[in-house]
Amino acid sequence: MTVADIVKRAAIARNTFYENFSSKEECFLAAQRFAMSTALDRVVKAAGDIDSWPLRVEAGLRAFLGYVAEEPALARTCMVEALTAGPASVEYYEESLQSFVSLFRLGRDVSPRGDDLPGTLEEAIIGGVFWIIYQRLVAGDIDDIEALLPGLVEFALTPYVGADAARNLAAGNGDAGDK
Amino acid sequence: MESEFPPELARLPPGRHGLPREFVSHNQRERLIAGLAEAVAENGYAGTTIAHITRHAAVSRRTFYEHFNSKDECFIAAYDTVMVELRQRVDDAFGQQEEWPRAVQAGIGAMLEFFTAEPHLARLSMVEALVAGPVVVERYDAAIQSLVPYFQAGREGRSAAVLAGLSPTTEEALVGGMVSLISRRIFADRTDELESLLPDLVEFTLTPYLGSAEAAEIARES
Repeated sequence: MTVADIVKRAAIARNTFYENFSSKEECFLAAQRFAMSTALDRVVKAAGDIDSWPLRVEAGLRAFLGYVAEEPALARTCMVEALTAGPASVEYYEESLQSFVSLFRLGRDVSPRGDDLPGTLEEAIIGGVFWIIYQRLVAGDIDDIEALLPGLVEFALTPYVGADAARNLAAGNGDAGDK
Repeated sequence: MESEFPPELARLPPGRHGLPREFVSHNQRERLIAGLAEAVAENGYAGTTIAHITRHAAVSRRTFYEHFNSKDECFIAAYDTVMVELRQRVDDAFGQQEEWPRAVQAGIGAMLEFFTAEPHLARLSMVEALVAGPVVVERYDAAIQSLVPYFQAGREGRSAAVLAGLSPTTEEALVGGMVSLISRRIFADRTDELESLLPDLVEFTLTPYLGSAEAAEIARES
């Protein structure tokens, strides 16, 4: 992709491009930031007000998958292309992963093993969820991406609430998580 | 396990050695691969030139082009060499254990040990590979997915209740999570922290099959 490709698609003059961005990389980073912060906004909006943490996770993952389904180009920008777009993009990608990690850490408060869970657990869970979505985006296989929800919910909740409760929550039975 | 360079990446001392021409030619290829690994460690993939590679390999530019058409092609050869070596070590460690949870622990341990002992190769295969063009990225993705069967083996002999708690994507998520932890530390030049990840990674990957209490017990005893 070149600056010429960008200005053609955007139907703007080359000069206008350089009034806004100094390089293709800078423009990409702006697109990546926009795409990722939109995803994070959607997750927070969908899940932020839910009291039960397991249900919040379910709602957040649902919102995230919904975002990928509705905005595959943006999702690709911030979850696939970002990884190969150079150090500044990878650094921002790492930072955004960290925002999701913080949201997940709250699960320790509701887990009977909260103080005893491995320190890197949230990082691994987010890494796993992102990897699953990455694979689907790379393969262009996103038509039924929302069908991944129960599997991801179960995967994300099992370490905190145990496999049985996680399975019930993944199946849409919200009461199980508060036991 | 030994921590020296894998044999494919060992370097033949420059100069006259009276070795058969075919051997020298093969060895030149290995020297170029080792040279690329060093050059990429020094300059990153984007900043590496063929001149850097031939200087590290102590061969001529002409020799480079007898073996490879481009920097990309040389990188692909280096990437494949590293992955064959890594796979061999993981397979050996995994295969030496009778119990599946121990095999997982040994396999992950072997991978962490390799990356710790060879930080340049770790960077080449886990960080630079992603900026080395679509061919390498495709191989990188396939290499990660190829770890899935090691975990799928854990389904064998589990109770119906445990199996009901696993989804078709469980192993993919475990592999993705594990690689993410490892590659983030390599990206941040913190390979010295890799081996301390072993208990966390073992607990994380065994939990869906054994439950968190048993997984923690296996992961934390040593």
